[in-house]
Amino acid sequence: MAGFLKRTTGLVGLAVSNNPHERLRILYSKILASLQVIPQDASYRKYTEQLVNERFDLIKTEPDVEKLEKKMNCGQIEEVIHQAECELSLARKMADWKPWEPLIEEPPVNQWKWPV
Amino acid sequence: MAASLVRFVRGGFSRTLNLVNRSPCLVQARSEATESKPTVRPKDPVTHSQLAVFGEYVAEMLPKYVQQVQVTCYNELEVMIHPDGVVPVLTFLRDHTNAQFRNMIDLTAVDIPTRPNRFEIVYNLLSLRYNSRIRLKTYTDELTPVDSAVSIHNAANWYEREVWDMYGVFFANHPDLRRILTDYGFEGHPFRKDFPLSGYVEVRYDDEVKRVVAEPVELAQEFRKFDLNSPWEVFPAHREAKAPELPAGDKTADK
Amino acid sequence: MEHTENASTYTRWQHDKIQRRILIKITSEGKGTDMASSAAARTATGAGKVVKPIFSRDFDEAKRRVRDLYRAWYREVPNTVTTFQLDITARQGREKVREMFDKNKHVTDPRVIDMLVIKGKMELQETINVWKQKTHIMRYFHETEVPRSADFLSRFYVGHDP
Repeated sequence: MAGFLKRTTGLVGLAVSNNPHERLRILYSKILASLQVIPQDASYRKYTEQLVNERFDLIKTEPDVEKLEKKMNCGQIEEVIHQAECELSLARKMADWKPWEPLIEEPPVNQWKWPV
Repeated sequence: MAASLVRFVRGGFSRTLNLVNRSPCLVQARSEATESKPTVRPKDPVTHSQLAVFGEYVAEMLPKYVQQVQVTCYNELEVMIHPDGVVPVLTFLRDHTNAQFRNMIDLTAVDIPTRPNRFEIVYNLLSLRYNSRIRLKTYTDELTPVDSAVSIHNAANWYEREVWDMYGVFFANHPDLRRILTDYGFEGHPFRKDFPLSGYVEVRYDDEVKRVVAEPVELAQEFRKFDLNSPWEVFPAHREAKAPELPAGDKTADK
Repeated sequence: MEHTENASTYTRWQHDKIQRRILIKITSEGKGTDMASSAAARTATGAGKVVKPIFSRDFDEAKRRVRDLYRAWYREVPNTVTTFQLDITARQGREKVREMFDKNKHVTDPRVIDMLVIKGKMELQETINVWKQKTHIMRYFHETEVPRSADFLSRFYVGHDP
């Protein structure tokens, strides 16, 4: 697609990214950095690292945006950037919430029994 | 119907941080009872197992809040959480790349007065990216506040006002919690099971004071007792026992 | 709207001044009624259990909230009488406010008090913003209600038999 310039994503509120590779590289390295706070064996860290690393490798190896979108299979590259932004904010919040800890409180007896 | 409900309750061993032991043995699929009548609804084992796997994924990520995960017979994924975990779990489901439940479809409550925490708060979410839905359930009672979900989903604003109005569940940190459906000055919460069907007041126009007045409801005829048993049985396993046959009276010799 | 400011803000010295004469006697012992009773009874049985407060951590804080609300209502009454063109005096209105507060004076659970204060605030907001109408305000006064007779014969003459 030489010479073709993407004008719009076709989605409201989502602008075309000029330099998606650079943007994603920054975001993914930030996510990985913020995951360092979380304990090694927490499954949130485990799965998110796995997911981010997969996509990070794709970015490093694939310079063409359209092929990259196909390989990632998660919508347009701008949507992928948005997902990465969300994941970054989530990873930072997760460090506060510490959801890998054991269950706060067991439900009361028969709370989830249905029919009553 | 109830037999096809696959449910995996979080066992004690999954409480530990090391979750290597989490294995399919958690999924206790109850063996299908052979049905004599042909069932109408076709089974969809692929969707069912996908949902089960995703439910397990959520439970593994957030062991602090998730109490139970189940997939109903209609292939709906339900996640039961502790009330403190409303904000973290909703944020996780919205922002995590593998979940992306960005749309709040519905937020409502169920009143079950026999339970110590009588209100169940239900969140229905939709992920457009993966075309799937999830249902989140938590619990509270009349006096325990639940964290508001407005900071995560703006759609929750009016839903929470509705739940507050109809059930009297207080949502902490809600930007504008006030009545939405009932009239100003209305007392009580109409969707509670202990709210009388006829209400407390009746209104009429009064000629003397030239305005609408509300007075305690007064039914001229005693409110009749209707038989409300549904003719279409919802839970066949919980059908009421048939009325016992009348014992035969003493046979009279003559006549 | 100046009414709003009137109702929601108060200065420190006013607070101290009114604190001296405690208007609502919440300390008296009593049994909970209506909405609050079942949950309060439950919390009483599970006394060791830590409950999540709504706003107030202890009874004094709850009492302070009640006083704030009472003060706001007290100041709002003359405005209400003029805006809604009610056929009552401000004095009558204030007596009614006091009666409404006194109705719940037996409540001692801070969470129940908080809940009642939240509802009272909601009503106050509706009154200040004139979302209510005359009929809603005058409902507090039960003007048209006739006391229901108890004995059979007079009920029979009235014609209803509820």
